[in-house]
Amino acid sequence: MRFNEKELVSLSRQPSEMAAELGMRGPKKGDVVKKRLVKLVVNFLFYFRTDEEEPIGALLLEQCRVEREDSQSFSIAFLDEAERKYLFECDSEEQCGEWVDSIVKASYEFMRKNLIFYRTEIHRLTGKDPLEQYGISDETRFQVNNGLQLTPRDTCSL
Amino acid sequence: MKLHEKILTHYLSCTSPVDKEGYLFKKKERNATYQRRWFVLKANLLFYQDRPADRHLLGVIVLEGCAVRRSESEGQFAFSLVFEGPGLKTYRFTAGDGQTQESWVKALLSASHCYLSLLVRDLGRQYEEAKQQQGSGASRHSSSLSALTQPTHFLPVQGRAAVVREGRSYSACPVLQTQSTPPKVVAKKSPKLWPRRNAHVTPLNGPAPLYGEWPLVGFDPLEDFSKLHDYYGQEVKKAREEWLRRRRAEDECIDGHLIDLG
Repeated sequence: MRFNEKELVSLSRQPSEMAAELGMRGPKKGDVVKKRLVKLVVNFLFYFRTDEEEPIGALLLEQCRVEREDSQSFSIAFLDEAERKYLFECDSEEQCGEWVDSIVKASYEFMRKNLIFYRTEIHRLTGKDPLEQYGISDETRFQVNNGLQLTPRDTCSL
Repeated sequence: MKLHEKILTHYLSCTSPVDKEGYLFKKKERNATYQRRWFVLKANLLFYQDRPADRHLLGVIVLEGCAVRRSESEGQFAFSLVFEGPGLKTYRFTAGDGQTQESWVKALLSASHCYLSLLVRDLGRQYEEAKQQQGSGASRHSSSLSALTQPTHFLPVQGRAAVVREGRSYSACPVLQTQSTPPKVVAKKSPKLWPRRNAHVTPLNGPAPLYGEWPLVGFDPLEDFSKLHDYYGQEVKKAREEWLRRRRAEDECIDGHLIDLG
């Protein structure tokens, strides 16, 4: 499958608050822990060999399960394959907790859920659809779950 | 660089809904011909394949760090995704009709992770304010007072669904801080920091910031989001006025063709 590699590499070079050298182990049998520079940018987790400009790989952080494995390490499982996990070893419990939290919150789907929640609640509290002023009320991606669109007519009694 | 494709295809086929799909013509880079492809937009990913029923995906475009532009000079109903930076591509498309073009441009403008991130923070703040207003009592007196003290963050943007605006999605978004949702209300920055914020807005007609100068670390998205919308809203206003002017001119022409039977 083709993808915009140069653009993705460029993305991986953007500044990120979550970038650190972690021990990383792949999901396959026989994979060992290797030191990698792991970097979270938007909903991608990039990993580099230390001091290399171009990442070795990129993992899309959607539809994945992030779990604490022990006090200082966490895992990410993709494809509903609970057994095939990527393992990450951190330097401290605190760092581990930050990574888990950040990865969960970086997911597009997580953000979308929050958006829909806020949109619904703001509409309920104020009678106004907060997306209207931005002209994006009818975008499919922002619709509330049951498919009902919020129209100005749906004013709640305050 | 290895992109773990299975993760992407799995995400595409999972239960969460697709944001937009349909046929578009994509320009081949080499020989400048257009090929019809079936596009599927989900989150900040634009997948494409030959036909809707195909299981084989031809490719994916990650939509971060690109500007969405209407490009009438390229042809009717044409638009492009412009990635800014040394050696980065521009993807060119044409749609079958104006409505399809407008709806794709609009969908792509709001597709990036960065855009969603700003929007969520902005709405989170509005939610907190709305809750506080509710909590302060339902009496008219108190609600009118809070209306007075409320800072005007929301600058209404001209133009509705029909108007297409140019815009950029930014890469290098600050990753969300570790905090429980909904986020706390952030104090307004002092005015002396404003020039720094304005520098974060990429001038529309100027060169893109040099590689390595991408902004956003440490900026206050709550301020900038409505500023960004206002800023691009000016383009919308102009485009709208032009469109109205053209329409009026067309209408006059049409009237001119009518035979006066009176």
